[in-house]
Amino acid sequence: MATQGGIVFQEKVSRLLRGQNGKPVLKPNRALVLKDAVANRKPKKGEASCITEMSVLMACWKQNNFVDSLCSNEINSFYMCVEKAQADAKNKAGQSNIQGGRLPPKEATGLLKRYPNLCKEI
Amino acid sequence: MAASISGLLKPWTPRVFLVRWSRYNPYYLEPEVSKEAYSQPETELSAEEKEQRELKALRPIKAATSGVTSSVFDDPVISKFINMMMKHGNKVLAREIMTQTLENIKKKQVEKYHKASEGEREAIECNPYTIFHQALENCKPVVGLASIQKGGKYYQVPIPLTDNRRRFLAMKWMITECQDNKHRRTHMYEKLSQELLAAFGKEGNVIKKKYELHKMAEANRAYAHYRWW
Repeated sequence: MATQGGIVFQEKVSRLLRGQNGKPVLKPNRALVLKDAVANRKPKKGEASCITEMSVLMACWKQNNFVDSLCSNEINSFYMCVEKAQADAKNKAGQSNIQGGRLPPKEATGLLKRYPNLCKEI
Repeated sequence: MAASISGLLKPWTPRVFLVRWSRYNPYYLEPEVSKEAYSQPETELSAEEKEQRELKALRPIKAATSGVTSSVFDDPVISKFINMMMKHGNKVLAREIMTQTLENIKKKQVEKYHKASEGEREAIECNPYTIFHQALENCKPVVGLASIQKGGKYYQVPIPLTDNRRRFLAMKWMITECQDNKHRRTHMYEKLSQELLAAFGKEGNVIKKKYELHKMAEANRAYAHYRWW
């Protein structure tokens, strides 16, 4: 079934290239072949995390002339905020892969490379 | 032996067995070197840990490096420091320097201990390992700077650092400081012990470098919003 549909399709394509009355409809500069890869999506730019904690820490540093022992509370809260932000980012990355309905571009490319488009018989 | 996407990994053992420094198939698991992990009785393990143990009984395991031991004296931080000091693969020399450094620290502290009066003696720390760890902790920066491009210009943006990055920076600063800023006739272990003791007391060039980084970060705090992660 696919081969029969394929022959009809090939004839249509060759008619477009040859053109009616000598004028071709399509003038492709690249071969009319599907690539074995999908274009990547631009990753969404997030916001900077832990800015409040960082600003509090820097204010404390400015006050105490950068001595770390006097700012230990602020430093600990900054570290905890950073850990939380990293854990959130990891969870989000895992979830967004499952949701969305569509296959992510990396996995689509992997699958296409495993079952590539065969251009030649050899 | 090509590593493929994890979903394709099948129960597989090679015909020729691999040696540590070639690339392992991701199917191989990391070895567990510490004795404490094996001395836990069955009841104290959670369900995940039991699953892990059963998995380890079935899967092939990578060979352990010659740098790790199951002895009580094995310290991953000190091993990492030795590896960073090593040049041209001369691990023997790097380890010698490390042991001489620790010995030197101990000698200096014991001398100080015996010279000090009764009241001051308790405050003097003689264990070179605790001095090393505390000195490294004192050298670790809290925030780092990243070069981020915005509108054609590059700005130094303060960013939070991971623990590994902080530890690496502290060790790198220590080693480069001791390699560069010393008299040509002082030995590496001598200079290292001086720097470590200074860092333990929160003085010295490495601590100064850390403070300079903090000051730069504080000066550039307006650009913190240029981060997107």
